[in-house]
Amino acid sequence: MTPKERIMSVINHREPDRVPCFGANSTVNYDQMEKVQAFWPDGHEKGEIMAKQALAAYTVLGFDAVRVPFCQTFEAAALGCKIKPGITPSGESIPGIEHPPIYKLDDTPVFPDNFLSKARIPELLKAVKILKKELGDEVAIVGGIVGPFSIAGSLLGTIPILKASLRKPEMIRPFLEIGVKAGAALAMALIDAGVDIISCEDMTASPALIAPNTYIEYELEYQTRQLEDISVPKILHICGNVEQIVGYMGHTGADILSIEPATKPQVAREKCGAEIILMGGVDTATTLFMGDSETVKQTCEESIADGIQILAPGCAVAPGTPLENLLTMVEVASKAHLKSIKI
Amino acid sequence: MKVLNDFSNIFKRYDLDGEVKGQAKTISKDPIMQEIAKLVIEGDDEEISVVVKKALEVKSPLQVINDALIAGMNEVSRLWADGIYFLPQVILSSDAMSIGIDLCEKAMGKSMDRKGTVITHTAEGDIHDIGQVIVNALLKANGFEVIDLGSDVPVDKVVAACKEYKPAMVTGTALMTTTMTAFPKIAHQLKEAGLPIPFICGGGAVCEEYVTAYDLGIWGKEANQATGMAEDAIAGESWESMRSKWNG
Repeated sequence: MTPKERIMSVINHREPDRVPCFGANSTVNYDQMEKVQAFWPDGHEKGEIMAKQALAAYTVLGFDAVRVPFCQTFEAAALGCKIKPGITPSGESIPGIEHPPIYKLDDTPVFPDNFLSKARIPELLKAVKILKKELGDEVAIVGGIVGPFSIAGSLLGTIPILKASLRKPEMIRPFLEIGVKAGAALAMALIDAGVDIISCEDMTASPALIAPNTYIEYELEYQTRQLEDISVPKILHICGNVEQIVGYMGHTGADILSIEPATKPQVAREKCGAEIILMGGVDTATTLFMGDSETVKQTCEESIADGIQILAPGCAVAPGTPLENLLTMVEVASKAHLKSIKI
Repeated sequence: MKVLNDFSNIFKRYDLDGEVKGQAKTISKDPIMQEIAKLVIEGDDEEISVVVKKALEVKSPLQVINDALIAGMNEVSRLWADGIYFLPQVILSSDAMSIGIDLCEKAMGKSMDRKGTVITHTAEGDIHDIGQVIVNALLKANGFEVIDLGSDVPVDKVVAACKEYKPAMVTGTALMTTTMTAFPKIAHQLKEAGLPIPFICGGGAVCEEYVTAYDLGIWGKEANQATGMAEDAIAGESWESMRSKWNG
């Protein structure tokens, strides 16, 4: 099986030759940057460099898919947020949103007509086209978008949106609406450029930040709408322990849920049923970044036994993560087979 | 304009599928103190000014601070630790408490006496100042002077602030694995500068093995440990003894 066939088998509920392994989030680390001679901040900003870095997930790590981009600021930047570049005085980093936020709660957010030609989106699409040319149908290409609540959080600021979620939740709706449009428009453009899978990261929708009821009463509707017109398989990633909302995440139309080890795969399976594909398995901080390869191996094996069907880092990989630990994931996956899902 | 007028459902609303049940305890038998505490617990930053001003006509500012505002915030901290409250409630309650404390301090004509100074920050490159918001609220609620450096704070700025304020304790929060690498740099520079200040590091990305690998580092598992740690630090405990107490 080609790497892409392997992933598609799992998504189509057929048995793959072995467990696939790739990231729903960024998997770039410093060793890969060195090996392919492509670095940040250029990898966040220039299509060619971005493609080169993404390709390393396949050529250096042996993952079954590559993924762009490596941060969560593309929609926000195109919507007018000021971006802090992916470099700090202490070293290379991930771009973030500058304070203060561009909107206040009683403002009316604007969706620009030429959204797809704004900020770094053209470079992202260029990277996908390069990847498609390089990889053809062998290796899956994952294109990342950001969920409505997280986009709204970039527009309003995290603390203001958290306060509003309790105090004036109805006023968040226009911002969630913009989040739907922005993520969906980016997804369509990514698919046109050649991605095989869309991965939606919705960090701010985590129960670590908002009350589960805010997710259920507000975000769920918008997340579902953002995903509904996407024609390729969809991954939904929400950080942290999502056990209180995972059953609802399973009803957004996502084919795959990417969960961190803080969420037990058994709970996700019980609440979502047999249809949902579960992806994840390795904690990016305690295991991948801090642990040795033996710990990584053990964790990966346990996760697969617990019902993880696509082995993946639980969240975005820290750039300082040892290469060996990422390679160990592939080593485990290459020997692992999926047991059939029983509920 | 106040949108949320009726707080009677506030606990019910966040009580999901019957998994987490609970409600705020009564804080004071004194009706006006109870009302202030209730407004803190409900995170009402509008009504709180009216009621605190009314209370100050019959109560001393310190009584209002300690028996109503801080007592209310401690109850919020319990509701949060028990999984009944989520972050947005904690933030709103902290705001309400701060408004009340400001009014009491004005009435006293001076700041309330603080137990000691703690510097808090979120790591460079990290814009998720969420955990820190809670740490700040809890420390303030327990009478500490908090120098809040905010989020995305460069290593040098943390070290410079420690030199200037000589805090009993400094905290760092990182939600991303990409940003926590600033912590050992800070610890190293503090040590070099002859400032062996207990350096509590915590947040989503941060684990015990990482923090205890550098001198001064003490791993903060939960935000609500911050006050107990700060008590130890002002009592003069060294980072070594705090680490052996709180970690391992």
